[in-house]
Parts: sequence; structure tokens; C-alpha cells
Amino acid sequence: MSGGAELGFTEHLFKVLVIGDHKVGKTSFVKRYVKNQFYEELKTTIGVDFSMKVIDWDSHTRVRLQLWDIAGQERLRGLNRVFFKRSSGALVVYDMTNGSTLDGALNWKHELDSQVMLKNGRPIPAVLLANKCDETKVCRRNASLLEKLCQEKGFIGWFQTSAKENINVDEAAKFLVKHILQNNEESVKEEEQNMQINLKQQSKSNSTCC
Amino acid sequence: VYGAQHPPLDPRRHRLSLNSKSKKPSTFHEFARSTNDAWDIDDEEDDGMFSLKQPSSSPVQSRSMPQTPCVKFIKAPEETEVVKSCSDAQLNVNAGMLVKQQSLPVRPVIPLVARISDQNASGAPPMTVREKTRLDKFKQLLASPNTDLEELRKHSWSGIPREVRPVTWRLLSGYLPANRERRDLVLQRKREEYFGFIEQYYHSRTDENHRDTYRQIHIDIPRTNPLIPLFQQPLVQEVFERILFIWAIRHPASGYVQGINDLVTPFFVVFLSEFVEEDVENFEMASLPQDTQRNIEADSFWCMSKLLDGIQDNYTFAQPGIQIKVKALEELVSRIDEDVHVHFQKCEVEYLQFAFRWMNNLLMRELPLRCTIRLWDTYQAESEGFSHFHLYVCAAFLIKWRKEILSMLDFQSLLMLLQNLPTIHWGNEEVGLLLAEAYRLKYMFADAPSHYKR
Repeated sequence: MSGGAELGFTEHLFKVLVIGDHKVGKTSFVKRYVKNQFYEELKTTIGVDFSMKVIDWDSHTRVRLQLWDIAGQERLRGLNRVFFKRSSGALVVYDMTNGSTLDGALNWKHELDSQVMLKNGRPIPAVLLANKCDETKVCRRNASLLEKLCQEKGFIGWFQTSAKENINVDEAAKFLVKHILQNNEESVKEEEQNMQINLKQQSKSNSTCC
Repeated sequence: VYGAQHPPLDPRRHRLSLNSKSKKPSTFHEFARSTNDAWDIDDEEDDGMFSLKQPSSSPVQSRSMPQTPCVKFIKAPEETEVVKSCSDAQLNVNAGMLVKQQSLPVRPVIPLVARISDQNASGAPPMTVREKTRLDKFKQLLASPNTDLEELRKHSWSGIPREVRPVTWRLLSGYLPANRERRDLVLQRKREEYFGFIEQYYHSRTDENHRDTYRQIHIDIPRTNPLIPLFQQPLVQEVFERILFIWAIRHPASGYVQGINDLVTPFFVVFLSEFVEEDVENFEMASLPQDTQRNIEADSFWCMSKLLDGIQDNYTFAQPGIQIKVKALEELVSRIDEDVHVHFQKCEVEYLQFAFRWMNNLLMRELPLRCTIRLWDTYQAESEGFSHFHLYVCAAFLIKWRKEILSMLDFQSLLMLLQNLPTIHWGNEEVGLLLAEAYRLKYMFADAPSHYKR
């Protein structure tokens, strides 16, 4: 999903999922990230909501993030396969003030991994967001638990965030984008290598043929 | 004008004028700025709303105001004044308008959301001779010992006059019997039955097996109509909670699914409007007598139940009804507007990505509430309105934006457009045209072989 390089300038388009149980703050997170605004009450998301965020990553890279904010209610999960496909990364959100939503987040991660993967078969990068951190504090025990969960469940990292107070919103997204870009570079390299191998094989087979 | 003719005039004739009237955002960024639903109003730069709020002393300026103050005319049947010319009406409207405007609190929200109960956003006079005749016809039908439901449907198709809407909805939904003598008895029995359910089941909301259902409903209620003061009243929120909880536990195959909460709103607003002279949106529910409050609640429950009976497979596991309808929409659009269909394919837009919500919430998220109420007049007049005719309305709705759709050249801008269609100024007239087009599509394309392609 990356644009052509022109004069060394590259533009990427990545699809990023925002998933997690209902009412954990997915839409609020996206609105804060994209519009830098916070709304006390938002309507429930039905199906999926799209937003775009354009990031000038560095002087020669622009990243367009297509954010897919997916409805949290269980009932709709049958459709997730359709919504998940071809995504490059995910923000998995839970609500720190509601412990059961962490279990929910792990379920979402599990489902994510069963539906999409990178070309090389590895899971797509996912960041765990402990949202609404303005309402509570992460104690040290929690922190080490989250650390452990990240390793066990294959998150690339976790952040405590607050869409309301604008805490770690950009940071978490940036962290994810960094990994997506790395994956993207790796897969481009792999593809180039594969292409070279193919070419070699082709020329080999050609030569034996003649 | 209450909307489309039935059967409709040639809707194609109207289409041009409709298109040219709609304000179409010209850039992707204009859409990006306003990524909210039709009746959210957080983007203050939208649509020149500000000009409507400013107190104006010139009658010419107030002309563009939707005309809530006429409610009083329409409310009191005995005093109903038949207005013979536009200017008569305008004078009266303007007089009311000035007073109204001065009392408006200085809040950037009012004008468009405020009109939830208002039927004529386009500023037509309160009641023309023709409308008076229509109203009389409804009254006559409703007053007869046995209301001819077929006849009532025929007249309702093109919009139900506001003052007879509550009773007409009760009749059309099958809640109230056609036999006039039996009505009071049935109402009394059904209302008692509902409050029997409450007594029997509502305490179980804290039980292990119902706790999650209740919690989800409880969380969703404040998010159902955020920003409309009426729905922020604890009393009103409790009404919604009870209605939804009782419905959910009595329908375990679906239970509570997000979106169903929206479907209570039109019934509640219409039944409440029977007792409200001013704007429903700012009404204090607590000022009504207990009995009245209870009746509104019970009637909303039963009518919503009747509606959901017809579309329950929208909300059972994996929502098969919706998946089927989205597929059907895709198939239909591929036949009626190949350009749009192919354009979607080219940009890799899938119908499920935008039409899921159209089906799940019956377009309520795409239209202002006043339009949904008008739409439901017709849905209740059509046989299988909510389950079948809605599909054609969705197709007509999509095609209505064909020019805008075809001007968007990539996935993102298309999705942003489709998620934020600019209907915020819509009123009866637009819905009338939409329905007329849907009727035409149904007539031409229902089960029709593909040689009907245009």
C-alpha cells in the first residue's frame, strides 16, 4: 500500500483498525487523534466509521492513515472478517476503569490474528491502549501485568492513554506507524529478494532449456 | 405539502432541481471537517447555521426559518385557521418567530436539531386549503366506527398530518384496532400488560444472566440522542431503559443490539408530541401527569415491538437480515445505476462499509429526526415498509448523490462522503421526492428481469 517514489519522496497509505469492546473510547480516541477534539457523549458506532489522518513523517515520507473505527458490540463480529482484511496495523483499546474490557481486548487481538497477517505470516503490529487513564492510575503491578500480556499475546507495546486529556494519543499512534513502516520496508526488501531469486531461477531454467 | 403524491408523479422531473439545491461540498477536506451524523452539530462552521440563530428584525430574513411557532395553529383543531395565501401565513409565522428568537438561549446548537418535531423545514405556510382537506379526510377516517385501514394507508403514504399522526401510527402499526369502540379498552389492556412486564421482569436487570444486557442498554442510552436536552433527562432515559430491557429479554434470539435504541426515538417523540405545544426537544417530561407519561412509554414499547417483529432477523446472531439486504442493495444498484456501481468497484468500496448502518438503523443516522418521522409515515403505510420498501429507499438515497459519488475519485473520499451525506437541511420535500423515487424503483425493478436496465 505504498505510493511510488518521486524525487525520493514516498507516500504511504496504511489501513489501521481501532478495535475493542463497546464504550472503551475507540471513537473518542480517533476524534482526538484526527481532529484534536473531545466529545463527552458520542453516538454508538454502527458497523464502521472511517477517518483519515495525514502525517508528514519526515522530509521525504508522508503517511496517510485510514482509520477504521469498528463497532464494539459482540453481535457484529461476524462481519469483522470483511472489515479486517488488508489492514496494516491495529490499535486495540480497553477501558482502564472497567477490567472486563481488558479480557475483551485480548479476545479482539486473538480474532485479529486469526483473520489477518503480514505477508511473511507474522501477526500485524498491534498496540494495546489502556484508555481513560485520566480516571484512574496504573499501579506498578498493573504495569508489569500489561508488559507480560504484551509479550504473551504479541502486542508490540502498550500505552496508557486518555482521549479526554489528550495523553499519549499521538505517541501511541506514532509508535504503531513506526512499526508499520518498518514492516513495510522489510516486506519491500523481501519482495525484491524474491524477485531476484525468481529472476535467477528463470535465467537458470532458461539456460538449461537452451 | 406533506410529500410525494401517491402514486408519485414522475420523480425524474424533480431530480434536477433537487440536485442543484443541495449544497455539495467540493473538497475532501470539507467532508473531513464534518465527520458526524446528520443531526450531530458539533461542526459549527456547517451550512451557515449561524445566520438562523441571529435575532433578526426583518421578516424577509426570518422567512428562511423553519416554522415551529405554527405548532399552535395545528395543535388546536377547533381553532384551526385556514390560511388562504402565503403572505397571511408568513405574517403570523413571523410574529411568532420574533418572540421565539428572543427567548432562544445563545447556544450554537439550536436551529437544525431543534426541529425534531417540525414537519416543514422548508418554510411552507402552516396550512393550505389542500392540507386542511387532507386533515379533514384523516379525521373522517379516524372517526368512523370502523376505520378503513386500507384507505388510511393510502392517505398516509404521502405523509400524515402532524395532529393525527399519533393515533394514525398506533392504527397502522397494528397496535390499535380499527374498531373505534374497542380502542380504549385495547389501549388500557395493552398498557397494563406492559407495566405487568415491568413488574415481573424489570427487577431482574441485576440478575447474573441479564446484567450484561442491562449494562449495555444503560451505557447506550445517553449516547442515543446526545445533545438533545429532552433525551438527557433522567426520567426520559429511564423510559428508554425500561422499554429496551423488556424488549430484549422477551426476545432472546436477538436480545439488545446497538441500533435498536435509535428505533424507540420516533415513536417516543410522536407520542409525546400529542401533549407538547412547543418544541419537543426542550420539553420537561416531568411536567406531564404520571398517567400520561406511562401511556407514552407503553405505546412506544408496543409500536416499537410491532416494528421489530418485521425486521427481527436484522438483529439475530451475525445479523443475517442486514447482510441479505446489503447484498440486495448492491444487486439493485448494479441494475439501476451501473456507473455508480462500477465506480464503487473501481475504488474498492464495498456496500457493507456504508450500508450496514443504513440497514441497521433504518437510515436514522443519515437523516434528521423530522425526516425519519416523515419516512415512517410511508413505511407504515406500505406493506413491509420497514423490511422491504426500505431497500428501495436506500437505493434511491444512494442514487440521489450519484453526482457527488462520481466526483470522488478514491476510497477515502468516497467513504467520507457516504458517511456524512449532507442532509442536515432536509425536510418533508426532500423525503417526499426520495420516497417517490423509491416507489418508482420498486415498481420498475422489483423482481424485474435485468432487461429493465436503463
